[in-house]
Amino acid sequence: MKRRDDEWVSLLIVIGATLLVAFGLIALVGSNLMVAVSSFLRGIFGSSYAMSEVLVRATPLMLAALGVSIGFKTGFTNLGAEGQLYMGAIAITATALVFPGLPPIVMIPLVILVGFAAGGAWALVPGFLKARFSISEVIMTIMLNYVAINLVGILVRTGLKDPAYPYPMSPILPESANFMQLLPPTRIHAGLVMALLMVIAVHLLVFRSRLGFEMRAVGLNGRACHCSGIQVNRATILSAIAGGGLAGLAGVSEIAGLHHRLIEGISPGFGYVAIIVALLGKNHPFGIVFASIGIAALQIGSMAMQRTAGVPTSIASIVMGALILFLVIRDSRQSIAILEGV
Amino acid sequence: MPVLEMKDICKSFFGTYANRDVCLEVREGEIHALLGENGAGKTTLMNILYGMYQKDAGSITIDGHEIVFKSPKDAIARQIGMVHQHFTLVPTLTVQQNITLGLRDSGYPFSRERARCEHIDRLSDSYGLKTHSRALVKNLSVGEMQRVEILKLLYRKAKILILDEPTAVLTPQESDHLFAMFKQLKAEGCSIIVITHHIQEVLDHCDRVTVLRDGCSISTVETKGIDAKQLSTMMIGRELVPVARERQNHHMDAPVLELVDFGFKRNGGKVGSVNLSLRQSEILGIAGVDGNGQKELLETLMGLRDHEKGKMVCCQQDISNASTAERRLVGIGYISDDRHRDSLVLDMGIAENLMLRPARSTAATQGHMVNKQCMLEQATRIVKEFSIKSHGLQEPMRFLSGGNQQKLVLAREFIGSPKIIIAFQPTRGLDIGATEFVHNQLLAMRSAGCATLLVSTNLEEILLLSDRIAVIHEGSIMDTIENKAVDITRIGLLMAGVRTEGAAR
Repeated sequence: MKRRDDEWVSLLIVIGATLLVAFGLIALVGSNLMVAVSSFLRGIFGSSYAMSEVLVRATPLMLAALGVSIGFKTGFTNLGAEGQLYMGAIAITATALVFPGLPPIVMIPLVILVGFAAGGAWALVPGFLKARFSISEVIMTIMLNYVAINLVGILVRTGLKDPAYPYPMSPILPESANFMQLLPPTRIHAGLVMALLMVIAVHLLVFRSRLGFEMRAVGLNGRACHCSGIQVNRATILSAIAGGGLAGLAGVSEIAGLHHRLIEGISPGFGYVAIIVALLGKNHPFGIVFASIGIAALQIGSMAMQRTAGVPTSIASIVMGALILFLVIRDSRQSIAILEGV
Repeated sequence: MPVLEMKDICKSFFGTYANRDVCLEVREGEIHALLGENGAGKTTLMNILYGMYQKDAGSITIDGHEIVFKSPKDAIARQIGMVHQHFTLVPTLTVQQNITLGLRDSGYPFSRERARCEHIDRLSDSYGLKTHSRALVKNLSVGEMQRVEILKLLYRKAKILILDEPTAVLTPQESDHLFAMFKQLKAEGCSIIVITHHIQEVLDHCDRVTVLRDGCSISTVETKGIDAKQLSTMMIGRELVPVARERQNHHMDAPVLELVDFGFKRNGGKVGSVNLSLRQSEILGIAGVDGNGQKELLETLMGLRDHEKGKMVCCQQDISNASTAERRLVGIGYISDDRHRDSLVLDMGIAENLMLRPARSTAATQGHMVNKQCMLEQATRIVKEFSIKSHGLQEPMRFLSGGNQQKLVLAREFIGSPKIIIAFQPTRGLDIGATEFVHNQLLAMRSAGCATLLVSTNLEEILLLSDRIAVIHEGSIMDTIENKAVDITRIGLLMAGVRTEGAAR
């Protein structure tokens, strides 16, 4: 009982400290606090369109964070969701442009599969190297982000460039590759449905399947799994592929649901924010649903705050960073306490 | 007058008492034993004295002055020194550097290495410790490392020396040397506190003994005029029932497990090689000092390390190159000496830890999914059968006591009646009750036809359970003898690597 209370109290302290940082920063840039807060809130709840924008932004975050969380559960620190997302985006663009005549019923499943495979393959590289040669996946996944991002830069200027325009971008994809708009005029698209289905799929995989059990066990104590005859390498590689694939789907969903063409910078760091979302959601699929909506709201709200109150959106990133920092401090304090008790 | 007096010491961790009104009084120039089971609070009490933990209540008096230690630094300043069970040495530094670590020479910042080395060598010689001050610690044997730890205390001029389970890593002969040195220190006026759970050691070498049980001090007595039985009753609160091992006639069947010139890699680039055979319904004990290749041998047997050469044959099947999963499916169970690292996922519950087996040998796996109901039923059955105490099947293993954790490991390894059990120090860190339980379970498996390879550094355990005893030294088997009227001296010599023809029988 007492432990429960402590948890709530410490959570309140974390929230309070985060708000203090946010208010301090707003005051620092010389904006009116009341105006800033009200524009922040109105930016999120002010209209049904504002609220729909939150969900639009939450979609790629949710998918990428699910991917990150599977890796984390297995002890595979996947910081490469950004790169995997871009690989998914390249895959859908290339596929749809190569086979423009396919009917939607074939096209949609095909681009989803190809996008998943591309993201998965991108994560397989560090996954395999970690499993086989115990090379740190942390550095490799980050480095592969740069490779993927700049690969997009090359492709939109060469192979996938739209010849009709001088700008670095691909042609508009055939309509058969578009995700359905769910509630026009809002921009909510079928990618949200896909993300929610993936939440359920990940939950089944991680908490109900034998493979998921092995993944979790490997993440908690790989050595014991090894001694018990569980194939640690297999679990690591499969979780890397699944995680990379989900991040790839985030790229697919962004292209098929919003942009309909490949451009540079389709992701304003979704892959990195996804790490924060996964941490906030405690690597649990249901937690990630709430965390992704929460972080999306923070970002959307801060944009409104910039428009109305002149507070730079960078504050949202700082607040996110501070929040994670406080949460990590809180968790470590608890783990220290637990360790001392043993 | 006592040098040290600890009065009514209380210390609790998260509401559980580790020490409750414990009193300890140590006189000048005595060897004082602190006797108790694992978890009785011996180490906690000494860590309080050494300044590692802060007491909740009570008082500590040294030479008549009440003192409060905020850290081990204060304790060292008061000439108190402690050798922990797990040594605190830097392997890449020399003996001299380890001993003087954190101290300042008179000529600081210029070091006077030669003078220090000479001082240490002189000190070492005067106690017959035979340690070379310029040797690298990583090249030392465990016994030598312990001597370095003791030298560290002597160099700091400790008057009260605390040693946590010092004989656990020594051969019987080395232990005798250690206590001989303690007698010399005692004559010089030092007081020595020895933490132990070996009753015989207390009776043979110590002057007085304080018995702890469940965090309370039971009593302090002179070792003269008390016998082992009385001490064990004080220690565990009841009389100890010796494990009954009835003889079994071994059919001369083909061996269940055969190791032919089985070579394995040892830490530090060395190679070990053994020939052994194990029959049905037999417990083969492997005795030896810790660090003679036992762990590497067993891990190679389980497929956790690559083997070097030779053959491992299990039931006419050559499994020298099989994976861990394949070996387990053939019917080999493994009880590691480090259950936290090798056997359990501490943040998972009982039910899930029981599933930590190759997928094909888990009843609760159906296709690719886990049958939760089946998993919980199995767990419920096992918890009952092995009387594992917990707050539910989902409670993380972390919160179970060591004994209950080990029971679960045993239960899991016994699922599907394995042909061979490889047990490495299966009672390490367990209290007497749990140790009895483990011993009885191993004997029950033996009656059921299971062949057991029992590796332990605890000679008593080997003598108690084994049908045959093999002695391992530097990665090879010195000799294998029937466990009938065994000459302990001979085993001790074999453990030290001495093969004597005459000394036997």
